[in-house]
Amino acid sequence: MLASSAHAQTLARLHIHAFELSSDKTAVKIGEPFHLTLDVHLDERVASLDNVQLPSLAGFEDLGDERRCTIAPIGTDCVETLTIDALVPGDRTIGPATIEFVDGATSRARSRESNLVTVHVSGTAKVAADSNDASDANDVRQPLWDLLWAGVRGILIFALVAVALWALLWGYGRRPRVAAPAPPAPPPSDPPAPAEVAWEQRLRELGAALASEPTRERAVAVRAEIRAHIGASERETLADLTRRNAAAGDTHVMAALVAVERAAFCEDADVADAAREAVPFLTT
Amino acid sequence: MKPDALLDALGATIVGQRATLEALLHATIANGHVVLEGPPGLAKTLACRALAAAVGGTFKRVQFTPDLLPSDIVGTRIFDQRSGEFTTALGPIFANVLLADEINRAPAKVQSALLEGMQERQVTIGPQTFPLPDPFLVTATMNPLDSDGTYALPLAQMDRFLVKILVEYPDAEEELAILARFGGDAPTLPSGVASMEDLRRWRSQAHAIFIEDRLARYIVAIVGKTREAHAYLDRGASPRATLAIAAMARARALCEGRSFVTPDDVRASAPAVLRHRLAFNYRTLTERVPQESIVAELVAALPVP
Repeated sequence: MLASSAHAQTLARLHIHAFELSSDKTAVKIGEPFHLTLDVHLDERVASLDNVQLPSLAGFEDLGDERRCTIAPIGTDCVETLTIDALVPGDRTIGPATIEFVDGATSRARSRESNLVTVHVSGTAKVAADSNDASDANDVRQPLWDLLWAGVRGILIFALVAVALWALLWGYGRRPRVAAPAPPAPPPSDPPAPAEVAWEQRLRELGAALASEPTRERAVAVRAEIRAHIGASERETLADLTRRNAAAGDTHVMAALVAVERAAFCEDADVADAAREAVPFLTT
Repeated sequence: MKPDALLDALGATIVGQRATLEALLHATIANGHVVLEGPPGLAKTLACRALAAAVGGTFKRVQFTPDLLPSDIVGTRIFDQRSGEFTTALGPIFANVLLADEINRAPAKVQSALLEGMQERQVTIGPQTFPLPDPFLVTATMNPLDSDGTYALPLAQMDRFLVKILVEYPDAEEELAILARFGGDAPTLPSGVASMEDLRRWRSQAHAIFIEDRLARYIVAIVGKTREAHAYLDRGASPRATLAIAAMARARALCEGRSFVTPDDVRASAPAVLRHRLAFNYRTLTERVPQESIVAELVAALPVP
């Protein structure tokens, strides 16, 4: 959709290289906060970006947002981070975000859309605070229930912290001073979401396929699938993905990507070895 | 000895400017000549002097001026009255690192004399031909802010330079470090960090770095993209740019300890190779479009293999 000519005169002239939407989680539970990030990279040095239309968040609750632009020696990186949680289960697609600008390359007003992000939401539906579907009785009871639950939760957290502190001090007093304190037991983690399980299974399959066929073609295919999974655009290199933390801190996936990239581009004589060395990153 | 040790030694002398030093090292390993463009006072001369000192090479600097003659660069024959014979006085071009300061301030005949030596790696004075030292690196500087009284280098001559490196102002922290380090004394140059034999070995190793077929096609596609019709370009880059991107990508891979080139090597090397080889048209001036953004856009336009 192009901007009207009157509107176009108010638009900034920009060379936009990246306009990417990403999520730090691909699978969440209802009510679990996660971050949706819009990354914009442009050549011009600007303090802020106007005319950005954020994606519709139907089915999600907006918990807050943060926008910042960092001016580099050449160009600007703008990042808008939305903190949201999901209200309804299922595979939810978010996006696209849209920006209207005058394209610096063609001098024409245009709009550019970001990619879409799909998030798998598990759990039972939550009623949004501003939902119109809830009955009046629910409208009254829900805040009271929330207040009560918040109080109970606060007491529980206080009790847990007090017990932990007491245990720490008690243990510290009984131990020889030279010994390092034992690391606390890890909290019981939530079982991984179905999408994560499916992806880990898929990685193992890719690893098995690469182990049985350690060729460049297979390594290239595996690399393409990992890149697609972490939402890499076709113009992003490995350094670009690392810079924008495309795997959302998942060092395992990035290590796997580095390993298969080596197999995809190394000398012909080394391909089989490089592919075999990449397998453990995929299967463990 | 590895190239990153040389880079660290240069970094110990010059505050910040990491990208400049990396590009300078990559071009040296790729056996190419360099244009350094940036405002005065950004340690361009110091970087070249430090590079020469770090590898134990000779360094000469020539300030290019409008009255410079070709013989001031390459040398001349002098008649010796005592012996009654001509002897040859070699010019400053006979150095491992030659800094041609403000190369665009000398007329075309002087530029040609230098560029001929750069290309042929030998110089003819009178009846005799003299090979230039190996390694031989020309670093030419140009001041982009002050173009009065300059002779612009034609594109064909700019094409002889492997890369054009843009030297940027330091940030506040780096400038504070400069103040602390260079407040009074002259900077200490690195010495004995590597040898010229190391440099020759790295050059040979870089030459053997592998470029996979899809990456070779990617390089060709990037250069080909510059030749397509473009609102701000009159002419694109030559096949020499294709060779230059490959050479720089190989040098970068070597410095990162790899025996093969990756898409990142190509993407990182392309702008420095292309920016001085493209003929930008008048619209970039009238519409004040940064040339660097056009280069970046061209390089980023193609899908990564």
